[in-house]
Amino acid sequence: MAEIRRVQVLESLLKANDYLAGQLRREWDEGQTFVVNLISSPGAGKTALLEATLPRLSDRYRLLVLVGDIETERDAQRIRSLQVEAMQITTGGTCHLESHMIEQALSLVREGPRPDFVFIENVGNLVCPAGYDLGEHLRAVLISLPEGDDKVLKYPKAFRNSQAMLITKADLLPHLDFSLQRVRDEALGLQPRLKHWIVSAHTGQGIDDWVRYLEEQRSEAFKSGEARPAGDAKSE
Amino acid sequence: MHELSIVQALFEQVEKLAAQHQARRVVRLAVEVGEFSNVVPELFERAFDAFCQVEPLLAGARMEVRVLPLRLHCEECRGEFRPQNYSFLCPHCSSSNCRVIQGEELLLRDLELEIDEDKDIGNG
Repeated sequence: MAEIRRVQVLESLLKANDYLAGQLRREWDEGQTFVVNLISSPGAGKTALLEATLPRLSDRYRLLVLVGDIETERDAQRIRSLQVEAMQITTGGTCHLESHMIEQALSLVREGPRPDFVFIENVGNLVCPAGYDLGEHLRAVLISLPEGDDKVLKYPKAFRNSQAMLITKADLLPHLDFSLQRVRDEALGLQPRLKHWIVSAHTGQGIDDWVRYLEEQRSEAFKSGEARPAGDAKSE
Repeated sequence: MHELSIVQALFEQVEKLAAQHQARRVVRLAVEVGEFSNVVPELFERAFDAFCQVEPLLAGARMEVRVLPLRLHCEECRGEFRPQNYSFLCPHCSSSNCRVIQGEELLLRDLELEIDEDKDIGNG
């Protein structure tokens, strides 16, 4: 004879990811490391944005870039050529980064000094990365002009759950039929507090404002002025 | 999104619970999927069916998927609303200070396990 037993669970299917993300966030807070998660569709210009952003920060801050891709080290190599430390996370088929992948990558660099900024370049995809907390302080979504101005409402969660939006490849505006107003209106409808910039990594348009925002956000996040704890403080 | 890997996470959770209860099979399980979770219920169900074919623990298991509509709470006027036309502004007072109170879930609510009675101590 067999008994049927009903068990109440009420647990998130992402609870392991969220738990680990919480641990990462605590560790980053202790080390005053400000973490930015960049998400966009493939080819929107995440790596190009970093190539424009990093040199504007690297004289004053210690930087680390974690790059997620399904395969190859190509993006990490582009970052390293700027003399910025970069680690490639190859997901081997997974369409997004999860917090255990970040944890694993960090375990390889924890011995060194704490970075002031970590940039996580997520796998190019506007769907799946939107559902995974990586413990970041700031999530920035990119939308490039060639993708078209109708993209925002097709992927609402990516825009709703971001704090910043960069409309990239602004230098192409004269060649395209793209309504900046439409993108701004639709994105702000989903997330009224979204900060946004129109940028071009190519001409440098808007990049200084974006970098200033990053610095302000970092100061804001750690303004309690607590000293960075010495040694290798762990979150557990 | 990646419904198969979500079902993998679900399976790992169910496997743990089955071991805890020394169950030999899962009969039924109920999950809640928010409308704004980026999970497509039909794909999720199909991925689950595939797992049932290859995992003996899930052989013949039934999954109930409850889709939870997106709901927001306005912090200004304390009203609740379902967004229309992708606008997350409060339709009552136009405030932008609103938070999602339902619709992002991806939840295992409960399940039914088949347990051999002779494994139950103190039965009778």
